[in-house]
Amino acid sequence: MNGEHKQRYREKYTNAKQKGVKFFPDIIYKDLLVAFGLFILLIGLAVFVGVPNEPKADPNDTSYIPRPEWYFLFLFQLLKYFPGQIEWIGTAVIPGLAVLALFLLPFIDRNPYRHWSKRKLALGIMGTVVVGIVVLTLLAAFTTPPQPEAAVANTLREQIALGEELYALHCVECHGIEGEGGEIKGVPGLEGVTLKPINDQDVMYPFTDETLYNIIAMGQPLQGMPPFGRAFGGPLSPTEIEAIVAFMRYTWDDRVELPEEETVAAAMPTLKEGEVPSYDVHVAPIFKRYCVSCHVPGKKNNNYLMRTYEEVMTTGDHAPNIIPGDLGSNLIRMVHREEIEAGGPMPPTKALKPELVEILERWVLGGAPETAEQAAQASAKGAPLPTAAAPTEMP
Amino acid sequence: MLRRLFQWLDERLGLTTIHDVVLDRKVPKVNWWFTLGSASLFLFLLQGITGVFLTVYYVPSPDHAYDSVQYIMNEVRFGWLIRGMHHWGANLMVLVVFIHMLRTFFYAAYKYPRELTWISGVVLLLATLGMGFTGYLLPWNQRAYWATTVGTEIPGTIPIIGPFITSVLRGGSELSALTLSRFYSVHIWFLPAVITVTIGLHLYLVIRLGISHIPDEND
Repeated sequence: MNGEHKQRYREKYTNAKQKGVKFFPDIIYKDLLVAFGLFILLIGLAVFVGVPNEPKADPNDTSYIPRPEWYFLFLFQLLKYFPGQIEWIGTAVIPGLAVLALFLLPFIDRNPYRHWSKRKLALGIMGTVVVGIVVLTLLAAFTTPPQPEAAVANTLREQIALGEELYALHCVECHGIEGEGGEIKGVPGLEGVTLKPINDQDVMYPFTDETLYNIIAMGQPLQGMPPFGRAFGGPLSPTEIEAIVAFMRYTWDDRVELPEEETVAAAMPTLKEGEVPSYDVHVAPIFKRYCVSCHVPGKKNNNYLMRTYEEVMTTGDHAPNIIPGDLGSNLIRMVHREEIEAGGPMPPTKALKPELVEILERWVLGGAPETAEQAAQASAKGAPLPTAAAPTEMP
Repeated sequence: MLRRLFQWLDERLGLTTIHDVVLDRKVPKVNWWFTLGSASLFLFLLQGITGVFLTVYYVPSPDHAYDSVQYIMNEVRFGWLIRGMHHWGANLMVLVVFIHMLRTFFYAAYKYPRELTWISGVVLLLATLGMGFTGYLLPWNQRAYWATTVGTEIPGTIPIIGPFITSVLRGGSELSALTLSRFYSVHIWFLPAVITVTIGLHLYLVIRLGISHIPDEND
């Protein structure tokens, strides 16, 4: 661009400025409006679309189809056209020249004109490049096969459920449904071997999550347990092994408790006004979580066992501990932390959460039905609400 | 009282001068496409703010990176919102910066006297892509791990120096803890420093030279 062009441009620009607007407020106003719009858009994307959850990195998963971020896809696609010996033309020469051309653009493009009608060559080249990038991106997006579904858990509860599923699939054959161990039947090579339980304190207390993870991943070759981690030739990814460990920990370790928002009450179907809970749906999970670790044979519990509906209703030195329709039942009084003939406050160390106590009250008051159908019948009859009769004073 | 406080500050900070030079200046009448520059700046600041919050809980080691991101998403109050905005902000920023570049090109705003503004802009575009590339690995999930595996393989194909570049990027022959800490460091220190300085230069040039006018048929 020679001096004459520069001079002409400066005059033109001064003229445009004079006919123009003030930076503040005119330009700033538009800028702020756009920034605000983007801000709302981002919050919307974060709230309504979120970030897709992905399994943890697994360097041994050779089945994963690698692909870059969408804005590098065009490059990824471009490389496919430069196979073998000439690959470096696609990886280095073309991108290198493109970047160099972009940097030097003001010096390459010596055309003094600025209106689009006088810059057809420059716009044509850039247009071709942009169309090329878009086409390559689309090609890459459509030709890459979809990723095989991988297991991902979003919440702790989902992780535990996934772990339970995987446990049932890979571990039950030898370790038993509840991790109880015993004699192995029908597993080639391990027929007749007797396994110790893995669901008790002897395993849960000394073994950290990391130890459990490693045992599952690498196996116990000396005892005949094969490795399950993909890194060691097994079928499971790190995410999946972690899910199994979480399932074991939260199911068998009596020291751990789910975080408050994940408690039993959150997981069970919510009760409607006047609906009677059933043992199967609502009460059994509470007992399983808070009571059965002690209320099984062989522990100090006045012979009150709580593993099944039958046991809950009939066993115990002070049986019956539950009298349908009577809020004065031993169980209700004891979860209200009363000291009575049958025993002290239950659970002994920590009070049940009020919403769980309320479920137990509504259940007893509704006739302590076992199945969901019986509970539905009781609801239909219009069982009295516990709030009407329940002792309101809490010790 | 307020007036006296203002005068005291103005005498020392030169507020009136800043107002006159930066805010109260005449610029040509332009259209909405000219907001993309400030939109890029806004997104960069937003990425900076959400990014700083993410570093509170994020741990850049292969053992903990994934779990710390899960923790941010599930346990930290509004962690999911901060991460979501950072994630989508990154995608949006690449898009906005690229369209900003196309707008500049279309209106020939890279020509005299704004050549240096353009060059600093190219640095910003490449640094933004670098931020995207390095940030992508940090969640240490499958997608991240394998994208970075192929991404760092690409320079390895260059004759002679290629393998060296790949090993510098990875900190070894394979992706490892070193790769993650290198990417993290580049993502939160090196590139943001480069971008901040370059934005300073870019803005100085934009204010000094004024925004370009929309060319008419005689230009």
